Amino acid sequence: MKRSKSLKLLMMGATAITLVACDEPQDVAVFENVEQCAKQEGFSSDFCETNFKTAQTEHVRVAPKYTSVEDCEVDFGAEKCEIAPQRTSSGGSVFMPLMMGYMMGNMLSGGSRAASQPLYRSSGDAKNFRTGDNHKVGSKTGITKVSSQVARAPSTKTSTIRRGGFGKTAARTAGRFRSFGG
Amino acid sequence: MQRIEISERDDWKSQAEALGFNFHTMYGEPYWDETACYQFTLAQIENDIEDPSAEIEAMCFDVVTRAIDDEEVLSKLAIPEDFWTCIRDSWLNREKNLYGRLDLSYDGKGPAKLLEYNADTPTALYESSAFQWLWLEQALEREIIPSGCDQFNSIHEQMIDAFKRFEIDGRLHLASCEGSEEDEGTVRYIEECAQQAGLETSFLHMEDIGIDANGHFTDRDDMTIQNLFKLYPWEWMMLDDFGKAVPKSGVTFIEPAWRAILSNKGLLPLLWEMFEGHPNLLPAWFADDPRAADLEGGYVRKPLLSREGANVEMVRPGEEPLAIEGPYGAEGYVIQALHPLPVFDGNHTVIGSWLVASQPCGIGIREDNSPVTKDSSRFVPHVIYG
Repeated sequence: MKRSKSLKLLMMGATAITLVACDEPQDVAVFENVEQCAKQEGFSSDFCETNFKTAQTEHVRVAPKYTSVEDCEVDFGAEKCEIAPQRTSSGGSVFMPLMMGYMMGNMLSGGSRAASQPLYRSSGDAKNFRTGDNHKVGSKTGITKVSSQVARAPSTKTSTIRRGGFGKTAARTAGRFRSFGG
Repeated sequence: MQRIEISERDDWKSQAEALGFNFHTMYGEPYWDETACYQFTLAQIENDIEDPSAEIEAMCFDVVTRAIDDEEVLSKLAIPEDFWTCIRDSWLNREKNLYGRLDLSYDGKGPAKLLEYNADTPTALYESSAFQWLWLEQALEREIIPSGCDQFNSIHEQMIDAFKRFEIDGRLHLASCEGSEEDEGTVRYIEECAQQAGLETSFLHMEDIGIDANGHFTDRDDMTIQNLFKLYPWEWMMLDDFGKAVPKSGVTFIEPAWRAILSNKGLLPLLWEMFEGHPNLLPAWFADDPRAADLEGGYVRKPLLSREGANVEMVRPGEEPLAIEGPYGAEGYVIQALHPLPVFDGNHTVIGSWLVASQPCGIGIREDNSPVTKDSSRFVPHVIYG
């Protein structure tokens, strides 16, 4: 036979949801601040403090970055953004949302080793916590469960200083074609 | 090889639309056309298309090996000097190529002749790989074609296998230009293959790509792009504003930069120079080569960089020249000996031979009313029978 034996025909562009189906949920702990954490049964203030500091350091690395405070506030709300320590290449300021909470592995369940990371609240969905990679964590504080994808260490965010540097040649040369390929 | 008129599946349009194959009809004319199919023997497929395609690919690799160390060749291909190192490194680092389409002139007899190689941004992939396959299965089931028919088409399986072997680290971003439904459909299909191979993917438009202060490319969520499949020609990336940032961006591109040597029509004279007389090649020269003037029996003049037949000029003995208009040609031309496409029931037929990770694995046939295949050509399915 010279043809494919089987072919799963999904709709082009449909999101593959099968990838997360076998995902094992992880036990995590979510808090707004150290005090709230320390009130949780079995959580020492030292443990809460250490994890908070880790999350704060991560915050600088993983928070979404903006070159204008307005753009940041559109996504996170008025006065919910701060100046990031990073600078653009021309020396301009970089902005990021305020850290609104943190999430760590649940020390009591033993199984979860998820590192501590910062959490955010977007202006469009302020009741829920979100990770730096914009995965929804939920609104609940204390011990909760999230998918391992959500608990994973977030990616480094950079600040885009310019967009639209690709595509001009296509517009110039081939505007009337139905395809830019061939 | 013959063209056989057959009945259409009465529900093919609704199936196409349900699957997201929205460009089945274009400019009000059918693009997907199943009122006919082409029939090949297994020997024709294996001896005349599959094996020669593998052989052409091997010759192409010899051209790349030569070109990366030959400044004269790179200049002739009109590749900007800023990218010579980037192209050379991409080849020496064995950056992996995903897919390509060799356009062949073949009539069922005699050797197939290479017309050109779409090695950078080929389209018509989804139609060849998925919709043609579905057509065959349903045409068998509905007895539109006799049982025992097969098809040269394991493109889909090969695409998924290739992505599994790519060892992609991190997320794969995939991009096409805004405003082309066909290109976006093609990229969405490739994204699906990548997902079925277990990769994490994101789609975006080329125009949405950003750059950060360190010269890394970013997506719309400000995540750094590590791996980028782009249905966007290398020669345009090189000219775009962000082109200068490409060599130091740290991005692994699919197709890799060395494919720019093969998607250039200058490949044709380079192949002829290195493998003159090979049965699957046509005589070809750069337009400024005096030998080009000696071609008897007509020729085709093609811009180094052009797509969808644009700016191609065909000169036939005793006939008016046939010129297709378009925006290309500033970088120079090649002259290729005329080898007219075979005509079946008034249709000029070109065979697109697909290679995935350099393995020949399928064909897609397009027909045009004119001797030059253009973006208005129709896609017609095929079977192997007998």
